[in-house]
Amino acid sequence: MSLDKITNPMHVRHWLGDMEADYIYTLGVAGERFFKEIKENGKIMGAKCPRCNIIYVPPRMYCEKCFAKLEGWVDVGTRGVVHTFTVAKIDVDGKKLQKPEIYALIKFEGACGGLIHKIGETTPEKVKIGMKVDAVFKPSFERKASINDIKHFKPAE
Amino acid sequence: MFGKKRVAIVGAGLTLFRRRLKETGKELSYEASKMALDAAGMELGDMQSVVMGTAPDAFDGVHMKGEYLADGAGAYRKPYTRVFVGGGTGVFTPLAGWWHVASGQFDSCLVVAEEKMSSCYPHPQFAFTTIFDPILERPLGMNLIWIFALEMHRYMHKHGIKKEDIARVSVKNKGNALDHPCAQLGAKITVEDVLNSEIMAWPVQRLDVSPTSDGASALVLVSEDVAKEVTDNPVWIDGAGWCIDSTHWTNRDLYYPDYVECAARMAYKMAGIKNPPKEIDVAEPYDPFDYKELHHMEGLLLCKKGEAAKLTAEGVTQRDGDLPINPSGGLLGVGNPIAAAGLMKVCEIFWQLRGEAGKRQIPGDPRTGLAQAWGDLMQYGSVIVLRR
Repeated sequence: MSLDKITNPMHVRHWLGDMEADYIYTLGVAGERFFKEIKENGKIMGAKCPRCNIIYVPPRMYCEKCFAKLEGWVDVGTRGVVHTFTVAKIDVDGKKLQKPEIYALIKFEGACGGLIHKIGETTPEKVKIGMKVDAVFKPSFERKASINDIKHFKPAE
Repeated sequence: MFGKKRVAIVGAGLTLFRRRLKETGKELSYEASKMALDAAGMELGDMQSVVMGTAPDAFDGVHMKGEYLADGAGAYRKPYTRVFVGGGTGVFTPLAGWWHVASGQFDSCLVVAEEKMSSCYPHPQFAFTTIFDPILERPLGMNLIWIFALEMHRYMHKHGIKKEDIARVSVKNKGNALDHPCAQLGAKITVEDVLNSEIMAWPVQRLDVSPTSDGASALVLVSEDVAKEVTDNPVWIDGAGWCIDSTHWTNRDLYYPDYVECAARMAYKMAGIKNPPKEIDVAEPYDPFDYKELHHMEGLLLCKKGEAAKLTAEGVTQRDGDLPINPSGGLLGVGNPIAAAGLMKVCEIFWQLRGEAGKRQIPGDPRTGLAQAWGDLMQYGSVIVLRR
């Protein structure tokens, strides 16, 4: 039975409940090392599978193609390429964002995978697929071993 | 031929799809199941097993919702399994039902799919925000629409496809849904309406996207022996395929769904299909976004890479075209209660092949049809091929 004529769901006969639960996630074996390099050295690392000759970014403990344990780590640099991007105009509530946010999938030369991150210090019209971008790190004392230790990526000079 | 026994579909059922329905998830499951059983001329007692498909627990707001929904799906004291592969669930559920019967273990299986997204308040978008990697992606404030915007943009860039080429899919599917008695968003709209709708995350606009919905759907699956007893008009499950790609969606190119191709090839091999565009008479690819219909037509090998938009513009994919795509109205028009929407597509192919699709019936004499769904983090493909 459709309730479409009721636009406020609070006017439907209901019981209000929640499933609140909080979580604490470990970074994992590969994740801990990845974020430590970001925090302490401002480096973006990949993990190399010697058998498949693939460098995974972000790095992983194992190769998903052959199940080799990955122990060789490679610095992939802090410059990446915009593989695709979006300009978000509304937030998760559907409300208009005061300033549109640019999110991109950034890939690194010679590596498989990449990072999702914000593009900053530019405007949406100037962002293009294929453009080179550099990671902008927070000052080291503000870093917490999180993906947000990278403030955003900005267009390369 | 995989499997020991041939499996037939002999009945289908579908509830209304709406933003908010009064019925609970259990009641919706019951409505769809009862309708499918009635259509098959069978009773719950005739069902030897039950498979339930339903997406994240967070939508209905009940952890272990497979168990919660079991009685509505007719599972009381029966062998019962809940399956879940994200958005791919709706087409994967009848595949799981198929192996129940094809294995020879059961002669019948009731297949039910349900979603009650309106329970998630104020909007199921909040449940979607927890599907991402908790360490790499969620701290950025990821949102479901954004990742599809990334994929849509990549697809457009790779093939030089324009927004208006993609908008035609939304116009077609919402138009088709006007003839569907269960549809939530049937509408006569124009390409301009889509292009002028609110920009959510460029290039995704409001009318590029399917709605959130409540709804359920069901099928009755039986072995060949039982099918002969209950109907003169069985529809056979001749192809089954499923595949998952890397969980790290950043590792994929995004312009092409390799995992859909992999699932399609598995289903085509089983069905003995060598030339899909020639041998498939009607298809229901997954269309939660308008560009996904095009993306999936290519992944299903129904056309060449980058060619789907051109076929759409030429009218090939209309109900009276050479390759009708989403004659039901799809998710964009009928609605998108995730698992129930995927199974709705299989119901539509069943009705089309039996000539029971009413005002939506495609002309000619369709004998082979396909439904496909896609899910998880843009990584899962499930494909079913039906024949009469």
